[in-house]
Amino acid sequence: MDILPSEEEQMIKNVARELLEAEISTAMVREMELDELGYPPTLWKQMANQGWLGLALPEQYGGQGLPLTYMGLILVEAGRVLAPVPLHSTTVAALTITSDGTEQQKQDILPSVSNGDMVLTWAVAERDPRLIPEAMTLVATADGNGWVLNGTKMFVDNFIVAHRCLVAARTSPASDANQGISLFLVDPNGTGVSQTALLTLAKDKQSRVDFKNHRIEGAALVGELNQGWPIVEAMLDQATALLCCQMVGAARKDAEMAIEYAKNRVAFGRPIGSFQSVQHMLADMILHVDGGEMLTFEALWKMDQGLPASVEVSQAKAFCNEKCESVVRTSQVIHGGIGFMMEFDLHLWFRRVTSWTMRLGTTYDHRARIAAALLDVPGKVRLGMPLPTAA
Amino acid sequence: MDFGYTQDQEELRQEVRAFIDGNVSQGLLDEMEGGEEGGRGPEYRELVQKVADKGWIGISWPKEYGGQSGSRIDQYIVEEEFMRRGIAVGGAGSGAPAILAAGTEEQKEYFIPGMIRGEIIFALGFTEPQAGADLAGLQCRAVRDGDDFVVNGQKMYTSAAHYASHIYMMCRTDPDAPRHRGISIFLIPMDTPGITVRPLWTIQSDPPAPMGTTYGMVRTNETFFENVRIPASCMLGEENGGWYVGAMGLNLDRVGASRYLISVRRDEDIVNWVKENDFAGNSPADNPAVRDKLAELWTEAQVCRLMTMRSMSLVNRGDTFTYEGSAEKVWAPEHGVKTTEAISQILGPYAQLLRGSEEAIEDGLYAHNLMGSFQSGINHGSVQIMRDQMARRGLGMPRG
Repeated sequence: MDILPSEEEQMIKNVARELLEAEISTAMVREMELDELGYPPTLWKQMANQGWLGLALPEQYGGQGLPLTYMGLILVEAGRVLAPVPLHSTTVAALTITSDGTEQQKQDILPSVSNGDMVLTWAVAERDPRLIPEAMTLVATADGNGWVLNGTKMFVDNFIVAHRCLVAARTSPASDANQGISLFLVDPNGTGVSQTALLTLAKDKQSRVDFKNHRIEGAALVGELNQGWPIVEAMLDQATALLCCQMVGAARKDAEMAIEYAKNRVAFGRPIGSFQSVQHMLADMILHVDGGEMLTFEALWKMDQGLPASVEVSQAKAFCNEKCESVVRTSQVIHGGIGFMMEFDLHLWFRRVTSWTMRLGTTYDHRARIAAALLDVPGKVRLGMPLPTAA
Repeated sequence: MDFGYTQDQEELRQEVRAFIDGNVSQGLLDEMEGGEEGGRGPEYRELVQKVADKGWIGISWPKEYGGQSGSRIDQYIVEEEFMRRGIAVGGAGSGAPAILAAGTEEQKEYFIPGMIRGEIIFALGFTEPQAGADLAGLQCRAVRDGDDFVVNGQKMYTSAAHYASHIYMMCRTDPDAPRHRGISIFLIPMDTPGITVRPLWTIQSDPPAPMGTTYGMVRTNETFFENVRIPASCMLGEENGGWYVGAMGLNLDRVGASRYLISVRRDEDIVNWVKENDFAGNSPADNPAVRDKLAELWTEAQVCRLMTMRSMSLVNRGDTFTYEGSAEKVWAPEHGVKTTEAISQILGPYAQLLRGSEEAIEDGLYAHNLMGSFQSGINHGSVQIMRDQMARRGLGMPRG
C-alpha cells in the first residue's frame, strides 16, 4: 500500500509533461479545432516514436507491454495540455483488439498502431445514448460468410481520420439482453458507411455514423458471435477510466491557472488570493482534482491486477463528472470577465472538461451502476473490502 | 502506485480480527460503555496488555522504546480493526509522534514504553476559554522559577483529563515575544498539586449516546491550574519553540484510522441497514433517489479512504505533509456530516428517535449521530482553518 507514484511512474509523468508542454501550445489547440483532420500527423508520429501509442500493447506486436496505469499517466498529461490527438480512441480500441481480437486482427493492426500508421476508434452509443445492451439497435444481418450492417451510431470520436472502427451491433434479438450483441471491426471508408460531423462544445471530431447495407466479411468479427457485450463492457470501462485521466489532467491545469491568477490579480488593493472566500474555493478545487485522480488510478490499478474494477470505474467517472466540472467552472468564476473572452485561453479547458462529463456515462448512469453493486447483491458491505458478489 | 495490501498485511488483518473475536468480551464492552475511568477500567487495561504483548501497539515506533520499528501501514491495519469495534489501541492520536520527534532521550524512554503498556494516557491541553481556533492567543502561563516552572491558567475541552495520567499542554512562556514564538509544550502528571478537573457535559449526555455514535462522548472537561509547580524536565522541545512541535503533532494526529472511520462508518451502516430492513414493506433500497444518493456518498467515502491512504503512504515514506493532512481534515468531516444528514432523510422520522425511545432504530444511533457528526468539523482545527492552511501552505496564497 503506497498510493503515491513510484520513482519510475514519476519519471514517465515528467518525461510526458516535458515533451507535451514543449510541443503543444494553445495556438495549436485552437488551430486543430478548425483543422480538417483535427490533429497534426507529425505530432502523432512523434508520440509513436516516444513509444506512447504502443505503451500498454504487447511487445510481440510492437508495443511495450506496460501497465494501464502508465498509459493513464500519459493521458493525464495529454489532458493537461488538451493534446489534439486521437490518443484516447486509438488506445481504447487497440486494447480491445489486444484482449479479444483474432491473431490476424492483432497482426494487421497493433504494430501499425504502435508505429503511428493507424488511428482507431469505436462506436457504441446510439440515439438513445445509454451504454446498455438494450440501447443497441444497429443490426448486423448474416449474409453468406459475413454480415450486412444497418443503423446509426452517435458521438463517434475521430471517425473521419480512423482507419478502423470497432462497432457494437445486434446480431440476434435474444431475450437475454446480454446476449445477441456482437463486435465488428469496420473500415470507415467502406461502401454504405457515411459520417456527419457534429459541432460539439469541445470542438473535437465527433460524428454520427450511418450504415446502409454495409457488408463486412466473417473475419471482421471480434470475439464470439452474440457474445460481444462483455467485451464492449470491458472496453467501455477502460475507455471511461482513461477519459477520467484526461479530465483530471485538464482540471488540474485549469486549477493551477486559477491559483496563478489569484496570486497576481489585484482588487481592493490586494491580490484576490488573499481573500479567504477565494482561498477556500481554491482549496476545494484541489480536493476535487485529487479525489478524482485517486479514484481513477485505483480503478486502473485494479484492472492491471486483473481484479473486478467496474464499480471503481463508475466511482471515478461519477466523481469526475461533478467535481472536475466544478473545478473548471470555479476557475472561470475566479477569472471573472476575462475568462469568457474568446481570445483568453481558459475556455479551451472549460469546454473540453465540460464535454467529457457527458461522454461515456453521466453521473446518474454511473451511480446507478454503483447502487446496483451496493444494494442488489445480498451481504454486508465494508469500505476497502471487495463488495459481495452474486453466488 | 500500489493500492493493495501485501499477503503479510492481509494475514495480520485476519489475525487481529480473530484476536478481537476471542478477546473482546461483553464485559469489556459494558465496562467501556459505563464510562467509569473514561471506559478504561480493569478489563480494558488487561486487553491493552494482551495487545501490547502481541507487539501491536506503536508498530511504527522505534524498537529501542518498545515499538517494532515496523510499517505505519501495519499499524494502521491494527488501529482500523480495533477502532471498528469501538476500541482505541494501536497508538494513533496519542501524542507519541511529537514526543518521538522532539523529546529528550529521557522523555522517550519514559513515555513511549508507558504508552505502549497503556499506563500513560495524555489529555490534550490546547484550547482555552479565549483561544480556540486562534490557538496562538493562548494565555495559560508557565513562569520559570529556578529549575521549575509554575503554571497558572485554564484549559477547555480536555476530554481525557478525568482519567489521563498526564496532560500534554501548551503554555505561554514568553509574553513579550511575538505570539507564536512565546509558547512551550509541557508534559505534566495529572496528580501534580494545583490541578482541578471539572466536568462539562455534552449534548450527547442526556440520554447518553449509544456506543459507536459519531462523537458520542458524553463528557469533556475544563481543567484549572493554580500555582502548579513542575520541573523544567517536563518541557517537550525547546523553550518558546512549542508552537511548531504542537503543529507537527496535530498534523500527525489528524490522520489515520480514527479520522477515517469517524467519517465513513455511517456510509456502511446505512447501506447495510437498507439492504436488510424496510418500513412495513416499503424498502428505501428501491427508491431511485435514495439509490443515487447512496452511490454518491459511497463514492465520496472512497475518497476519504484514499486520502487516508495517501497520508499513510506519506508518513510511511517519511515524507512531510504540505497540504495532505489538512485536505483529509476538510474532506472527511464534511463528508461525515453529509452522510449523517442524508440518512435522516432516508430514515425519515425514525432518525429523530433518541436512545431508549420506543421504535428507535439501532438504539437511537442515527439521532445521536446528528448531534455528533458536525463536531468533527470543529475539533482539532476547524474545516475553515484547514482550508486556510491548504491555500496558504499548499498553494502559496498570501495572507489577508
